[in-house]
Amino acid sequence: MLLNFERLGAWKWILLVITGLTAAFLILPIVFIAALSFGSSQWLIFPPPSWTLQWYKAFLADPRWLEAAWTSFRIAAVVTVLSVLIGLVASFGLVRGRFIGKEALRALFLTPMILPVVVLAVALYAFFLRIGLNGTTTGFVIAHLVVALPFSILSMTNALEGFDKSIEDAAVLCGAHPLEAKIRVTLPAISHGLFSAAVFSFLTSWDEVVLAIFMASPTLQTLPVKIWTTLRQDLTPVIAAASTLLVIVTIALMLLAALVRKGLKS
Amino acid sequence: MATLTDPGGIAGTVKPRIVRQYNFAQTVPALALILLFFVLPVLALLLRSVLEPQPGFGNYAALLGSTTYLKIFLNTFVVSALVTAVSLAIGFPVAWALAIMPSRLSSVVFAILLLSMWTNLLTRTYAWMVLLQRTGVINKTLMGLGLIDQPLPLVNNLVGVTIGMTYIMLPFIILPLYGVIRRIDPAILQAAALCGATRFQALTRILIPLAAPGMVSGALMVFVMSLGYFVTPALLGGTANMMLAELIAQFVQSLVNWGMGGAAALILLVVTLTLYAVQLRLFGPARMGGH
Amino acid sequence: MKNITIIAALAATLGLSTAASAAELVFTSWGGTTQDVQKAAWADKFTEKTGTAVVQDGPTDYGKIKAMVEAAGVTWDVVDVEGDYAVQAGKAGLLEKLDFSVIDKTKLDPRFVTDYSVGSFYYSFVIGCNKDAVSACPKTWADLFDTAKFPGKRTFYKWSAPGVIEAALLADGVAADKLYPLDLDRAFKKLDTIKADIVWWSGGAQSQQLLASAEAPFGSFWNGRLTALAATGVTVETSWDQNITAADALVVPKGAKNKDEAMKFIALATSAEAQAEMAKGTGYAPINVGSPALMDADVAKTLPDQQTASQVNADMGYWAENRDAIGERWYAWQAK
Repeated sequence: MLLNFERLGAWKWILLVITGLTAAFLILPIVFIAALSFGSSQWLIFPPPSWTLQWYKAFLADPRWLEAAWTSFRIAAVVTVLSVLIGLVASFGLVRGRFIGKEALRALFLTPMILPVVVLAVALYAFFLRIGLNGTTTGFVIAHLVVALPFSILSMTNALEGFDKSIEDAAVLCGAHPLEAKIRVTLPAISHGLFSAAVFSFLTSWDEVVLAIFMASPTLQTLPVKIWTTLRQDLTPVIAAASTLLVIVTIALMLLAALVRKGLKS
Repeated sequence: MATLTDPGGIAGTVKPRIVRQYNFAQTVPALALILLFFVLPVLALLLRSVLEPQPGFGNYAALLGSTTYLKIFLNTFVVSALVTAVSLAIGFPVAWALAIMPSRLSSVVFAILLLSMWTNLLTRTYAWMVLLQRTGVINKTLMGLGLIDQPLPLVNNLVGVTIGMTYIMLPFIILPLYGVIRRIDPAILQAAALCGATRFQALTRILIPLAAPGMVSGALMVFVMSLGYFVTPALLGGTANMMLAELIAQFVQSLVNWGMGGAAALILLVVTLTLYAVQLRLFGPARMGGH
Repeated sequence: MKNITIIAALAATLGLSTAASAAELVFTSWGGTTQDVQKAAWADKFTEKTGTAVVQDGPTDYGKIKAMVEAAGVTWDVVDVEGDYAVQAGKAGLLEKLDFSVIDKTKLDPRFVTDYSVGSFYYSFVIGCNKDAVSACPKTWADLFDTAKFPGKRTFYKWSAPGVIEAALLADGVAADKLYPLDLDRAFKKLDTIKADIVWWSGGAQSQQLLASAEAPFGSFWNGRLTALAATGVTVETSWDQNITAADALVVPKGAKNKDEAMKFIALATSAEAQAEMAKGTGYAPINVGSPALMDADVAKTLPDQQTASQVNADMGYWAENRDAIGERWYAWQAK
């Protein structure tokens, strides 16, 4: 009965309160940033003396911001696809394989998350210089892939371990090709793991700043680097405007997705 | 075409093809990537920790012999553990609630969760900095409401770091845990209720153990991430809470002393992998069946 | 396996580093509006004059410089770095010797000229105060270290660099000409007396934010930041008493691909007009002694070179010698 929302009794309210407070906690900075983006003071003082749209104008007027956002996005997209694919295959091997050193291998896949990324950044940068990959999108993608993969593998091994393999075996017993059984039975069952892997991989690349500084070139600047240098030099609410715009676009996309899903259902 | 709903009819006519294909080969792409683009370059750099400025373990001696560096090491692990504990404490009930709430409500919370992750890390951290300041919104509101008469020191200390990092780490606990709890068969808990278990007993003796793999996975992710984090602690913490990653960044980028930086990183790596191995011994068998 | 082959193939076809072509120069600085002004005042003028395109890169990263010099894959031609790093890097063999037959040394402030670097711009650490937030403003370094007379939080530059240690020693009564060699023990002891009341700023913008919001109503700031802050309407009181100068420097990494162009660029960047333009746009001070004559009187007034009465010059040479040793003690003290 613990998993039945209606029958929880008093505990239902405790859970709701905790969730509500957490949601408020999560959204507080975002709302605050949105409020700051409309304030007329250059300094992050709240409440601001008056309201303005100047920061939005400044953001949209400077093509470098949009370029940086686009660069970040396309790199993150490629990293996500590769990370989920490679991670999925590796997860199958890690969860179902029986070979010596399996646990050691699992730990190895975890190490890019443990090592402070600045060490990897310098090491990869020096390595890429020698093989000519620095300042290229390929190099960038590889660098981000290395740090995104652990998230992908962790999420999917976790999901795979919670999956009862006998269902998949049953499908094979019924004549399905093993690969088909995986695609039609296992993947949907671990979809939450796939989703987590994709989300974490995307966000790891999207937010990553240290590797990005090292992998960057004049033509390859990502959004976090631009925000980082801007925040150190000049505090302007332009960053708040950029953030808020992104949030608005995301909300719009989410609503669109929800409407499409509703449309498909009916 | 064979279907799961017609086992009897088809199964007799088609030869079963359970092929043993789960083995090492599937990890090779990932392994190749990690070996070539992680292990090799990083080892080359870490090698300098025993070669610069003179061959030997001078760097390690300096690090392990200095109370300051040991304090920073300790602080890093303590903060990471604290953030992990707080994130788990908040994340578990939230993941639980999300798993069973009506989907209208849970979609909204999910949207908020994803939005919070989607906003740039630096921007989020800066927002917290401004929110938590002595002259910031939170203190002003609390003072305005008359709850306090002196501003609370919420930033440039451990409190600020914990708040900031928990904010970032929560989704990493909630998402995996949510998935795990969703997969739990409600029948188990119904059976427990039928057998007379109280809600509390069902929670501690059934739900939590069943959710444990998700908790361990999430906690591991958060703990390990926190160890290597430096942006948020640098902006929200005081210098007395300096984390190892910031120190290493100083060595690598500012003092350009790669010997020391590499040594510190290697020590961190060794300690963390050791803890991971210990965790494996303790929690390994608790993984849910699936083999 | 396929993924790796694809990646390798892509790497082979796309994997050429963006090395500057013959008629292109890469200038690297710290980003933000400072680099924007450097681009307008120096890079664009250079392109006008010589036809060579200048590509902006950044942010400056010393780890990157070391890696690229060691790998002989230098992609930066002219880099804006901190003054003490420039001296240290020169000694460590990471930089090209500057060609002073191309760069006119005679008009440059000698405080900021070495074999491997010339000043990029310079600035002073001054005492800033938000007049609206407090009843009394500290006027000397000793004031800033006095929590009894001036209670509340104060802010200092977080990183190990010339400025804070000198301020502590001056506050403790050390004479300006007896500052070097730095008595670190004495400085840290003095800093300990106010450590609990220090809020550290790690970037120029953050320092302005702290002062504007009165989170730290006074402290030690870069002068240019205070000028800019006052221009946005905040009531700032600046004290130039014993202001401590420091500078950024322009250097050429060893093995730079466009060394000759780099020297010409630096020659232009340090010329009187270019320096005056830079000073006008940023509030930092020019390192060319002929520049103040070219600037508006009221702008020139705000610059450190007009405030030499009790000016203290941070010793870049000393800092370069002892950069690592001081750095380690500094971070150790901060982490205590």
